[in-house]
Amino acid sequence: MPALLELQQALRAQLLGEALPADEASALRVAIYRNTCLSTLVNALRLSFPAVQRLVGAEFFDGCARQFIRRHPPTSAWLNDYGAGFAGFLSAFAAAATLPYLADVARLEWSVNRALHADDAPGLDLARLAALDESARSRVSFTAHPGLSLLRLEFPADAIWRAVLDQDGAAMAAIDLASGPVHLLIERDAGGLAVRRLNAARWQFAVRLCAGEPLYSALDDGPDADIGAWLAEHLSSGRFIDFQLNAPPAGATRQ
Amino acid sequence: MTGDGHNARGVSPIPAAAGIGLRFPHHEQVLQQQPAVAWFEVHAENYFGGGSPRQVLERVRCDYPLSLHGVGLSLGSAEGLDRTHLQRVAELVRSTEPGLVSEHLSWSIVGGQYLADLLPLPMTEEALEVVCRHVEQTQTTLQRRILIENPSTYLQFQHSTIPEWEFMAAVAQRSGCGILCDVNNIYVSASNHGWDPQAYLAALPAAAVGELHLAGHAVRTLDDGSVLRIDDHGARVAAEVWALYRQALRCFGATPTLIEWDTDIPAFDVLLDEAAQASALMRGLAPGQHACAA
Repeated sequence: MPALLELQQALRAQLLGEALPADEASALRVAIYRNTCLSTLVNALRLSFPAVQRLVGAEFFDGCARQFIRRHPPTSAWLNDYGAGFAGFLSAFAAAATLPYLADVARLEWSVNRALHADDAPGLDLARLAALDESARSRVSFTAHPGLSLLRLEFPADAIWRAVLDQDGAAMAAIDLASGPVHLLIERDAGGLAVRRLNAARWQFAVRLCAGEPLYSALDDGPDADIGAWLAEHLSSGRFIDFQLNAPPAGATRQ
Repeated sequence: MTGDGHNARGVSPIPAAAGIGLRFPHHEQVLQQQPAVAWFEVHAENYFGGGSPRQVLERVRCDYPLSLHGVGLSLGSAEGLDRTHLQRVAELVRSTEPGLVSEHLSWSIVGGQYLADLLPLPMTEEALEVVCRHVEQTQTTLQRRILIENPSTYLQFQHSTIPEWEFMAAVAQRSGCGILCDVNNIYVSASNHGWDPQAYLAALPAAAVGELHLAGHAVRTLDDGSVLRIDDHGARVAAEVWALYRQALRCFGATPTLIEWDTDIPAFDVLLDEAAQASALMRGLAPGQHACAA
């Protein structure tokens, strides 16, 4: 008699693999569980990657999703959190090579999914920041909202994504795939979801702040006047949920 | 309008009446029309995280008693519970203060991989110990009693030694949990495995039964010619299941009863109609009538 763990490992191999039990009656019954398992997971990916599905068609999507699921099954039962590796999988998926922008659209959709489902977190209390003295402010670093993403994509995936979901053929036809990289900020806002294009400098500044660099370091590049406005906009939009005070930079003179 | 309005908070008990499983396609309608439904049940995992689903749930919770039904805790996993998952359930329970919390007699996770279905357990002493340990861990973490639902199954294991109804009763007795008796699941499993569904009902400890489930199922003929009933929650409750429900009411008395529908979700009115049928059967129950003759 197999121990419970052995039985569970054997059933997993049958659900995610090709082999089924030798006797027909058992095989037919295990196949029912396999079908539910795979179709539930395909459907979870379909809900998170609707534009990818429209671009490749339902049948192709089903096939490549099944391959992804078998290689990278979910690690938890929170299915809204499943699919982080799907864009990377698509970028290496030979059958999708005719759509070079497909993986970028998937990267955008994964960020959209994060914006929609990340934990709620209130923006940091600006009064706490204002209470710092002038010399301390430049040593502040921030914790970004869990639903915020910053993407640099080679293709104009935001325009493709909108045109595909709106089924707007004219907009799709007008997209210049060679227009160069786009810098995107994706977040949950009062309207539910925002996907914004930033210029490269503004995006870079946001990336450095979200990576936890102290202000004095992130302020290195960019015209000061702009940067002040950018920072104010991040703060008022609730993109940061906390801050920390860092040690002064090495070699800094006492102010 | 059955709710107590927006000032109602604290735990609202689930009444002994028919409730409906709330699914995403009906969110807007329920918020706008506030239909007369005694209570709602939702799948806990659909409301993990934040954003708009959570806001909807908060609003529903203000107007209706709420039951949280987990589908991903995998109480039967040999390797132990996913603590992160359990903490997310605990957070949802703290914030929504549901009248009932339930999970399944099944497993879904092995080797840290989630297999996205309610998979069957061998009915062995080892599995019983595993399930009881995990029910106790869950009840300790959530600081409340939970209900465990009997599964619908398509497979039995040759080394099983305990009839499923005895297994359910033993989990309730050992861990102190309650029983969510899914009448459709009993019918489906009994039909698939040749059990007596009435004897199953009669074997459950009536005092532990805190909720009933009703749903539709499909009938499929397999390639080997055998007929299998599949619990797809994709149709109206079958006539045979309504008949079994009448017996369940005689066994357990008026009990919170949920209408579930997950595949090809119909107009909300269809669910209201199913709930009305369950309510009518509950009302027809003679007062104090609790006799379970199998």
